Formats: sequence, C-alpha cells, structure tokens
Amino acid sequence: MKSFKIFALLMIAVFLLGACGPAAPETIKIGINAPITGDIPKVGEGSKYAAEMWLADIEAAGGLEVGGKTYNVELVIEDNESKAESATKVNTKMITQDEVLVIVGPQSSKQAVPAGEVANNYSTPMVSPWSTNPNTTLDRPWVFRGCFLDPFQGPVVANFVSDEFGFTKAAVLYDVASDYPKGLAENFKAAWEELHGEGSVVAYESFTTKDTDFSAQLTSIANSGAEFFFAPQYYNEVALIVQQAHELGWDAPIVGSDSWGSAETVELCGEDCYGLFFSTHYAAAGATGATKEFIDRYEAEHGYVPDDVGALTWDTLHLVQQAIVDCGEITGDIAVDRQCVRDALASITDFNGITGDMTFTEEGDPIKCAVIVRISDAGEYEFYKSACP
Amino acid sequence: MAESTNNSSAGRKGLSVRLGKAWEPFTKVPLLGWLLGILVAVALEQLVGTPLAHLVGLSKIPVLFGFVIVLKQPVLLPGTLLYILLIYLLPVGLVARLGAALTNKLAARLLQSPLWVSAIVHVGLLYASLHMWADISDYRDLVLRLTLIAIILTLSLNIVNGYMGEFSCSHPGFMALGAYAASAFTVIFFVEDKVFGSPLLPPALGPFLFPLALIFGGVISALGALLVAIPSFRTRGDYLAIISLAFLFIVKSLIENLEILGGPRGFMSQPDWANLPTVFIWCMGSIWIINNFVSSTLGKSLNAVRDEETAANAMTVNTRRTKMVGFQFAAFWAGVAGGLFAHVMRYVNPGSFGIQKLAEMLAMVYFGGLNSVVGSIVGAVGFNLLSEALRPLELFKWIIIPLLLILVMLYRPTGLIAFREFDIANLLKPKRKSEEEVEHAIATD
Amino acid sequence: MTSFLQNIVNALQWGSFYALIALGYSMVYGVLMLFNFAHGDIFMVGAYIGFFVSTGLVALSALGALTLPSWLILTLTIIVAMFLTSFVGMLVERIGYRPLRGAPRASAAITGLMIGIILETGNLALLGAQRVSFPALIESVTYNIGGVFVTNKKVLIVVVSLLLMFALHQFVQRTKWGMAMRAMAVDFVVVPLMGVPLNTIAALTFALGSGLAAAAGILFGVAYPVLDPYMGILFGWKAFVAAILGGRGSILGAALAGFLLGFIEIFVAAIFPSTLRDLIAYSIILLILTFRPHGFFGEAYSAKLRL
Repeated sequence: MKSFKIFALLMIAVFLLGACGPAAPETIKIGINAPITGDIPKVGEGSKYAAEMWLADIEAAGGLEVGGKTYNVELVIEDNESKAESATKVNTKMITQDEVLVIVGPQSSKQAVPAGEVANNYSTPMVSPWSTNPNTTLDRPWVFRGCFLDPFQGPVVANFVSDEFGFTKAAVLYDVASDYPKGLAENFKAAWEELHGEGSVVAYESFTTKDTDFSAQLTSIANSGAEFFFAPQYYNEVALIVQQAHELGWDAPIVGSDSWGSAETVELCGEDCYGLFFSTHYAAAGATGATKEFIDRYEAEHGYVPDDVGALTWDTLHLVQQAIVDCGEITGDIAVDRQCVRDALASITDFNGITGDMTFTEEGDPIKCAVIVRISDAGEYEFYKSACP
Repeated sequence: MAESTNNSSAGRKGLSVRLGKAWEPFTKVPLLGWLLGILVAVALEQLVGTPLAHLVGLSKIPVLFGFVIVLKQPVLLPGTLLYILLIYLLPVGLVARLGAALTNKLAARLLQSPLWVSAIVHVGLLYASLHMWADISDYRDLVLRLTLIAIILTLSLNIVNGYMGEFSCSHPGFMALGAYAASAFTVIFFVEDKVFGSPLLPPALGPFLFPLALIFGGVISALGALLVAIPSFRTRGDYLAIISLAFLFIVKSLIENLEILGGPRGFMSQPDWANLPTVFIWCMGSIWIINNFVSSTLGKSLNAVRDEETAANAMTVNTRRTKMVGFQFAAFWAGVAGGLFAHVMRYVNPGSFGIQKLAEMLAMVYFGGLNSVVGSIVGAVGFNLLSEALRPLELFKWIIIPLLLILVMLYRPTGLIAFREFDIANLLKPKRKSEEEVEHAIATD
Repeated sequence: MTSFLQNIVNALQWGSFYALIALGYSMVYGVLMLFNFAHGDIFMVGAYIGFFVSTGLVALSALGALTLPSWLILTLTIIVAMFLTSFVGMLVERIGYRPLRGAPRASAAITGLMIGIILETGNLALLGAQRVSFPALIESVTYNIGGVFVTNKKVLIVVVSLLLMFALHQFVQRTKWGMAMRAMAVDFVVVPLMGVPLNTIAALTFALGSGLAAAAGILFGVAYPVLDPYMGILFGWKAFVAAILGGRGSILGAALAGFLLGFIEIFVAAIFPSTLRDLIAYSIILLILTFRPHGFFGEAYSAKLRL
C-alpha cells in the first residue's frame, strides 16, 4: 500500500506543477495532407516539394511576420495513402492533435470531399489546391480550393475548338472511375451539345483507372466520324492515348485539359504530342516573372519541371500566407485564429498567383482565368490564348 | 529454439525466470481486474493527463501511446516513456495486483448469475474505459471507431477464409454493397438531399431506425453473395478465388455506373449516426453472434466442408446449404460493417473498395489467425494500431508492415492466434481458486 | 467490318500480355499449387530492369562506345532482363515460399502479396514517384491494310510472345527438367521421394515464370512506354484470373485464357458502352466458370487447402 500512497502523492504533485506548465512556443503550424504513397505518389511528391520550397522561403526570411511579430512556421506533412479514410484520419489528427492553423490538401477529390467535412466540422480552414469536385466546397464555409471547377473548363474547351477549327462533331475519351476526368467529360459534352445540338458528341468512350490499352475505344472513336477528340486525362495516360491513336491511323486534333499541364506529358509522349492544344491554369514555357522563377527553382532542386499540382500547392500556400498576414494578429487561441484566417481567406481579392489571379466566390471557389496552350514543335508549352469567365 | 541449450543464454534464462516470478502474481488477476485497472488508468489520464504531459516535456497527451510523437521527435522518448509508465502501466499494474482478491471474488459472484450478466458487466467496463480514452481526443475516437469496424470485417472474412477454407476475394465488394445500400436507406428516408428530395420520414426518428438501415445494407450484401455462393456449389478452392475476384470487379463497375448514387464521384451527406456507442454495440454484437455461429452445429459443418467436402456430404452435412449460409452470413456482416463505415466517413466512393482494401483485409485475417474469433480481434486491432502508429514513417511504413506480416507468416503460418475457440466463460472466470472450489475438488477426488 | 478486324488486332496485342503473365502464374500454380501474388510486381521489376538495361545500352550507343542496331538492343535487353528477373523470382521463392512449404497455401499467398507491396514501395523509395519513360527502341511504323492499322510493334509483340510460349512448351514437354516439373504437378509428395530435387524444381519454376514476366514487362514498355511502381497490381490480378481460368498446370490453357481475357475486354469495350466494360467482361467470366467450373483444361479435382 505504501507504493500506492507514493504514487498518489506523485500524481498530486504533477497536477500542481502542470498547472503552471510552459506556454506554447510562438509557432504557426500548417498541415499538408498529401498522397505520398498509394495510387498517385507523384501528386504527393509534387505537393511536398512545393510546400518545402515555400517553407524554405519563409525560413530564409526569418519567419512569418504577422502584425509586427515574427513567428516560426512549421509544416505538418502527413501521408493520406490516397485513401479516403486515411485522409479523414489525417485531418482529424492535424486539427485536434497538432492544432494546425490551416490545412492545405488533400489533392484529389476522393480524399478532399470527406476530409473537407472533417475540417468544416472542426471549424478549421482547409484549402484543397487540386480538387475540382463541386462537393468539396459545397455548403462548407471553411473549405476553399485553389483551382477552377469543371463546369468552367468544359465550356472553355468547347468554345475554343468551335472557334478555332469550326468543328461540329466531337468525341470524348475519359476515365470513368476517376472523379476529375469524368466531371470534365460531362461538362464538355453538355457545353458541346449546347453549341452544336443534340448528338453532336458522336462518341463518348471511357476506360478505368490504371488501364493502359485504349485501342478498342480509339477504334470506335476513329470510326464514329468525329473531327477531333477530347481527352481530359492525366499526363501518364495522355502519352499512351495519343500514341495509340496515331498508331490506329488517327491524325485529327486531340484536345486536352489542365491535367496535361505537366512537364512529363511531353517527356513521356514525345513527338506524338507536338502541335496539340489543351486548356490549363498556367503555361510553363511561356511563363514569365514569378511563374518562371518558381519553375526554374523547382527544376533546379528536383530535376524536373513542376506539374500543375506543384504550382497550385505553391499558390495555395501563398494564399494561406496572405490570409494569415491579413489577419493581423495571432492570438494563440486557435479557434479565434482559425476564424480570423478563414475570414481573411474569404475576403481575398485579386490574389496574384503563378497560376493566375484569384478571387474567391461565396462557395470558396476561386474565379480564375484559363489559358489555352499549344505544345510547340520543340515540345514546349506555348501560350496560345486566354479565356476568362 | 536452440537458445535454451548453451551457456551464453544462461543469463537470459535467469532473467526470464525472474520476469516470470514477477509476473506470477498477475496470472491470478481475472479479466475483471484488468478491466478495472484500465478504467482507473484512463480516468487518471482524464484527470491529470495534460499537466503530467506538460511536466514530462510533451505539449499534449500522447495520442497513441506515444508512437506518433516519438517517431517524429525521438528526443521526447524519455518523457513519453515516463508518461506511459505513470499513466498506464503503473496504475493498471497496481489496481490489477492489489485488487485481485476483490475482483476474483466479484468475478466468482458474477458467474453465479447467468453468463450474459457477467458478460454485460465486462463489456460495460470495457466500454467505459474506451469511452474515456477516446474522450481525450477526436483522433482517438475516429481511430477507435474504424478499428471496431475493422474487427467486424475481419471476423466476417474469417468465416469464409478461415472456417470455410475458401480463398475469397470478394469482401470489399460485399462491404461496398452494404455501404451503398445503408447510405441510400438513410439518405432517402431521413435526409434532405439534392437527388432524392425531402426525407420520407421525420429525421428525428432516424437514429432509432439506423439499425434497420444497417440490417438493410447487410441483407443487400447477403443477396449479392448469392452471385458468389451459387457458382461455388460446383467449384471449389482456386476457381472460387477468381469468381470472387470477378465479383469484386463487377460490384465496383456497377457502382461506378449508378449515377443516382453518385457514380465515381461518390455518395455523400449520410447522417452522423455512427458514433462510438453505436459502433461499439454493433461490434460487440457481431463478436457475440459470430462466435455463437461458428461454435454451433452449422459452424462445425463449415469446418467439415473445409476439411473434406465429400466426407462431410456422406455424413449428412448438407454442403450446399452450409456453403450458402456461410457465404451469406459473412456477407451480411461485411455489409453491416460497410454501412457503419459509410456513416463514420459520411462519404463513400467506389474507389475505396478495391484491391487495396482487399490486401488490407487479407492481411488482418492472416495476421490475427485463421479459424479464430480472438485471432480476428487481435489481427484487426493490431493491424490498425500499427498502421496508425507508423504513419509518421510515410513510405517506410509500407515496407515495415509487410515485413512484419511476412515474419508472422514464417513463424506462425496460420497467424498469431489460430484455431482457438473463444470460450467466453473461461475468459470471465476468476483466476484464483476460491476456498469452496478447492474443497469441492478435494471432495470429488 | 474493318473495325471488327481492327479490334481483333488490338485484342491480339492486349491478350499477349495477359497470356505471358498468366503463364508465369500458371507455372507456379501448376507445379507447386501456390498463388504467387507477387507475380504482378515481378512483372513491374522486370519492366524496370529492362528500362535500365535498354537506357544504358542506348546511352552507350549514343556515346559511340559501341554501335548497336536497335533490334539488337531490344534482344539484348530482353535476354539480360529475363536473366536478372529470374533471380528476383528465385529470391522471392527462397524468402517467401520455401519456408512455408508445409503451411497452408493461403499463408504463402499472403507472403507473396506482402513481398509484392515491399517491391512496390521499395521502388517508390529508391526511384521516387517520377514515372519513367521506356526508351523507344523501335521506330513505330504503321501499315494500313485495307483500313486496318497494324504497327510493326504490334506484330513484334504478338510474334515474340508466341515464340516464348512455344519455347516454354518445348522446354516443359521435351527436357528432363520439364518432365520433372510435370511430374511434380501430378504429385509433389511422392515425386520428390523418387529423387527429383524439389527445391531445385521450385526455384526453376519461379525463375521461368519470372523470366516470362520480365519479357512481358519489356514488351509492355515497348507498347505502352510509361512505367510506374504500381503498374503490376491490377495487371497481376487480372492475369491471375486468366491463369486459373486456363486450368491447373496447363500451359496451353493459360495462354488461351490470357488471349480470351484480352478479347473479352477489348470487344466488350467496343460493342457495349465502354463504361460498362468491367461489369460485362467479368460477368462473362463468372458465367464461364458457372458452366465450366474447372476452367478450360483443368481436370475435375478437389483442391484442398492443406490445413
């Protein structure tokens, strides 16, 4: 029984001492929820590298100055394994355990939709740089995104092709199991049919994530009489789709979306992709100013030109940074600070990012311009024209 | 093991003897005593956890026994160890040891009433501890709920892969069916939704009818299981593996094409009804029912079908019916787990029920042990905690976990705790023979 | 009509990959009665080894150190990669399967699954998440035969696959080792007692299967030049379906089932709305198994889980 008494005494001592424990250090924590393992490790890597570059900038400046006081910034980078349940666990952990001020990520909608629910429930601002699903931000005042939505990009492509080539018959090839291509394909189809009437999309073909052979679908497209086809796919699939289309005798244009905007598209695809058009957030080759600076630095550090994910994460972090600075004061009471950052985010206007200027709508979606890019005969992305909402 | 023969291991042997001696009094502690100890520990954490954490240099209570903290900042190891020792190990040990006399008596008293009374007392204590433990942080709460769901899933997969001895790959498919069916049920009846319009029933009724939604999910999933069970009459073993795999692909593709349920974009706005008590009750219920099932005649006939189908048939076991019931029963529970999962996440997506999920479920079953209810619980809890604790290692987590599993397979090819019956009465009984029992034993000699 | 013929050409190419990988599965399955779930990832490793070998050779040629025509580079790549990958296969057998020979078959399958995850993650950790582009070893030439487009790559893939299958068939039917493997497939309890070295045969089986997977990986790189660490998973599981569908230990069966799977996937996508492809394609597989419960060439036997 003696040991028990000692133990009890110890506990009381702890309680008394703990009451006057050390105050929390002056650090601002920002959570990064990224798919470092799982289906899309490349996306996770891009987010992580962009975030680390941003942190290096902050550290080089000696910290983040808010309201005349300088704070250290700490990134809490967590892996969501590209799984929905993992993404919610990560968000819950970052919000309740690490007490991050704001969360950047998750990238793909499969994770961002459920993770946004968590962030919204805990009144923590979250900005997904890459998720295009409307549900991510719908009815969630605390959730924002750094990219434009599918309903905007679909018509941009449809209008561009109609104006530029005067085509009337379109075909679409997309990944039915993936949220982003499917949404974009549907929006494009709707926009095209509005322009050219019912049935003007003559082939609407799909495949499943991780497929590598599209010959059956491409054969159907080639025989449908379409004058071009739209492939809102990721860069690894783009290379395969374009090459296989050419091998099946297809020589009409192929048009893409912002997911083509990775340096790897051309690297993997080679000459087959030269001369094709796609819509995107930013054009790496024609880039000037801050955009070019970012691309050059990223390439110097990691050996390749950043994807749109990297660029969007970079922009999102600067957006968050501006919101924190706009906030004016970090009180140390995390709930108050989160509210303050959210309000600051919502009221940002004309943010000048490397992927374009942004202003948030009521829903937390940015109003951004898209650009049409042509892949030049030297394999570079050339600015062709821009389309604003 | 060769170590017990040579001299160099003498010291280790001495140590193990000493450890065994130190451990000996604890062998007399009944389950009730341990549960009480844990309850005291978590209560203590509630009271003095935060100040103690500050004292040992941590900014917060270590959320998962310190793994997450220590792997990120190894400097905090001593503080974390001290915390674990003071909050968990010492109180549990002390209460269990000192209260052993009392708890033994209590356990004996409880056993005099029907078994279920004792079981409910134990489960109640367990819930109280878990509740307090999860109360510290919502992260714990979420991990705990998902772990409890994983227990149901592992148990149900064990029915097919362990008790029935088939290699089934269709479980993520069953889970998906249950998840979507239960979600559709709750959303149509109780939630204002864009696709399905206004709720058909007053939402206030919802939480009471939530079990119905889960059962509906389970039934749909059991119906889906017919697609696998019927071909299994003529096919065995390896062909069944690919039938079940084909089933998985079919279900995933089906949901992707069901636009009304969101297709690949996923299905959301499920109400938030799968809280800790609900998930806990369903989990305990599933353990109880599945345990009864596998120890019933029907469960034994599953084993008979596994070991020798022809002989089982000759011995009047209706093999068709047995397989059918086995599959549907397992699918039902997978569906219930899916329904709970959907309401914990409040969002489902067909991509969540693919090959990745299958590998995870198989890992849990074989890690814990085939043909064993306890094994499934150990497997699910172990795998989930491990995978949460090693999260800071990012990429290397997925090298360490498979390596561990390979080691388990090499040294215990059927899993950690395989082929063991889950004897509830034995688990709950007092560990020290009371005087009456001793007298009784003498009298019968 | 042309689109029908075109799809036959497409399906021949696509089926070749399933067939080659299914053969590797089927070898291990036939001789040792084991599911080698690491096989899809061995395919991935083979493709990566092929990538390094061919990139190295191309670089050497570019430097002028040695002048090799591209067909020779391809042949060398296939030979070297098959050789190296077969060691990976033997390693997998030694670590994951041999210690578990007396254990339930499913346990060995789980070990294989885990080795597969380690191979994927290891690749990710070593090479990073960057996808790699397989060097274009042959200039793609497209022939238009009455509206049907055939490339030299497609012809090459189908021909090389058929050659490899034929070689394997000859090996198994004509050589002493092949005879030992066939004997083992009949009975792996008694046959070792008659002096056939079980461990050697098991290693040989894995080596052969992995070699074929490596060849498939390189041909895959030629046809679909984008490699990533997770490329083998889905492919592996689908080839597993083909291997079992073919019937136990039947080389012809596995090859035919591989082609069949390729044809089903291509034609379902071509005829039905392609969103329903997996739904319909695998329902067909389910139906086939309902009416032919032992695959195409498998005997009606009762596979026991040796518990």
